[in-house]
Amino acid sequence: MNIRIGIPRALLYYNYVTLWKTFFTLLGAEVLISGYTNKLTLDLGRDMVVDEACLPVKIFFGHTAQLLEQKPDFLFVPRMVSVEKSAYICPKIIGLPDILEAGKKEMPALIKPTMNMVSTGNIDSFLREAGSCLTTDRRKISRAWKIARQEQNAEDRQALDKSRSTEIGAARTGSKLPMLLLGHRYNLYDDFLNLNIRKRLWQMGCDLWTPEQFSEESKEDTIKTLPKAIFWTFGKDILGTVRCFSRLPGPKGVVIISSFGCGIDSFIGNMAMRYLHKAGIPYLNITLDEHSGEAGLETRLEAFLDMIRWRRPFNEDHISSYGTPLGDPEGYAGIHGVYGYSATSYQ
Amino acid sequence: MGFTVIVPPPTSKRTLSLGVQNAPEFACLPLKINLGNFMEARELGADTIIMAGGVGPCRFGLYAQLEKEILEDLGCHYEILVLEPPERGIIDFFKKIRKLTEKVSWWRIIQGVRLGYKKACFVDKLEILVQEIRPRENELGTADKIFAHSLKTIDKANNLDELAEAYGLAKEKLLHIPRNEEKEVLKIGLVGEIYTLLEPFASQDIEKRLGYLGAQVTRSLYLSEWINEHLFGGLLSGAVRQGFSKHAGPFLNHFVGGHARESIGAGVLLAGEGFDGIVQVAPLTCMPEIVAHSIFPSVSDTLDIPVLTIYVDELSGQEGIHTRLEAFIDLLWGKRFSLDHEKTIC
Repeated sequence: MNIRIGIPRALLYYNYVTLWKTFFTLLGAEVLISGYTNKLTLDLGRDMVVDEACLPVKIFFGHTAQLLEQKPDFLFVPRMVSVEKSAYICPKIIGLPDILEAGKKEMPALIKPTMNMVSTGNIDSFLREAGSCLTTDRRKISRAWKIARQEQNAEDRQALDKSRSTEIGAARTGSKLPMLLLGHRYNLYDDFLNLNIRKRLWQMGCDLWTPEQFSEESKEDTIKTLPKAIFWTFGKDILGTVRCFSRLPGPKGVVIISSFGCGIDSFIGNMAMRYLHKAGIPYLNITLDEHSGEAGLETRLEAFLDMIRWRRPFNEDHISSYGTPLGDPEGYAGIHGVYGYSATSYQ
Repeated sequence: MGFTVIVPPPTSKRTLSLGVQNAPEFACLPLKINLGNFMEARELGADTIIMAGGVGPCRFGLYAQLEKEILEDLGCHYEILVLEPPERGIIDFFKKIRKLTEKVSWWRIIQGVRLGYKKACFVDKLEILVQEIRPRENELGTADKIFAHSLKTIDKANNLDELAEAYGLAKEKLLHIPRNEEKEVLKIGLVGEIYTLLEPFASQDIEKRLGYLGAQVTRSLYLSEWINEHLFGGLLSGAVRQGFSKHAGPFLNHFVGGHARESIGAGVLLAGEGFDGIVQVAPLTCMPEIVAHSIFPSVSDTLDIPVLTIYVDELSGQEGIHTRLEAFIDLLWGKRFSLDHEKTIC
């Protein structure tokens, strides 16, 4: 029988699912992934960690508890310290394996290799430890890793290409209002946690943008002007996205999703809001916690969208000369497809 | 060195209120107080801020950046100089000092730094003495009064000789406080986030309260230790050094930022030294301390040491904290008696 490795559907799962899954499958393991988040997940998780931990961490623990029912041989909880030079992930995520082991619950053996690329880009020891329960053959491990990396990259590129491809570009010229959904992936893509916000915005006539639709390079470039480099990978992602998005022409809005008690969001979210405020782009900040009442969120979204739509288009008297588009020309540099909407087309 | 140093007024409710109004809601308490301090210093005419930085993953490293943005948006234009830890390049560190002190000779800079650092060391040594005397003194509060006064004399000292004299005098005074040496006291380790440990206002005087309730407190962090480790890479001597972090395993096996490892390590080490309990204090939403808090239950189970975690935020009601500390102390006495067979009836 194959060795069964469990991966909780929470936190960094949303960033690296393809990578982990391909890697372990290639090494001959059966990968078990917990189901979608539901009320039970949250209830289970809430009992396992301290009250002060943030919602995504509680949900992570709920997922591990639910995974145990499938009886995996190992649980994959990597210690993700850093995935790039001089930037960290987040203290709580770094401490995850320790918190999990300190808990009262009986756990299967943990695979908890440390990924730390803060000073070096070396991940050999990470790979060796990650694959140690399956094989000791280093070549096999590095081959599996290479293929897994390719798959993950291909998937990331696909997300990027989607926003660049012409047919989507054409669809974007429709009457929909561009709306950037800003936040950590585990907040954006967990539909239980964020009360289905993606669907809600889509139904309200928004054209959704997410951070992965902007390339890493352009995000890095835009935040180089900051006096001090941000040392959180997710923080860089959020600030870079805001800057890239604000350069797109035309009316638009930003919905910032953060979780209650998130240390990174409390700083980065605030910096993003200050930036948006100066750029004159409307934004809505939503803090998620254990409340599951949906009417509050619905009302706020509706009000926010109404406000944007009632706004007088600020560049209506700005007539472009030949060949120059309205708004900031940087957004037109052939990167983001062709945009043709006029300021009033969605009214 | 030819600067006018403006010391912001002692942190008060007004400081906190200014900070709370302008800082992000979920930022940690030190940022709010810090921001309030800067705004109050501005009212007194300060135009440049010198503060320490950091390279993560704790939020402290971005304080300067965010505070500058907030202050700019409020219309306060400050020049901010951030002293980053030397890992980021010792040359850069010296360049910054040079920029600050344009025409002052290096010799005087070194003298100045040495004096400042020595002051921190002496203050820490006095503080340890005060922690010892507090639960035992005949009249509660005597040691604190003397300590507050000696802080002023140490602050006024202009050279090493004056400093040594002020220190000697203060120590002498503290040692002469009438006290009951035989009194039985509890031993409590106070661990947690550095700002709330060091700033009595932020932690609502937890340290003093514990002392008056009859406990001898040992902290996991002292200022001189932090300056040495954080700003000078451990090059200086004379600091109060404890090195708790290496005792954190197997409970916390990796650096998670802030002082989480020191907290856990201190808990482990002090439990082995026969301390009666641990009090952890941290600002609400502090990321590293939440990790430590999540791990403390297993430390407590394994080593049989009671742990109380207190989060502080801008709520200034004091009775809540006092009641919790009192109850904790009562439980600790109960535990000690239950272990002591001579004092148990059944």
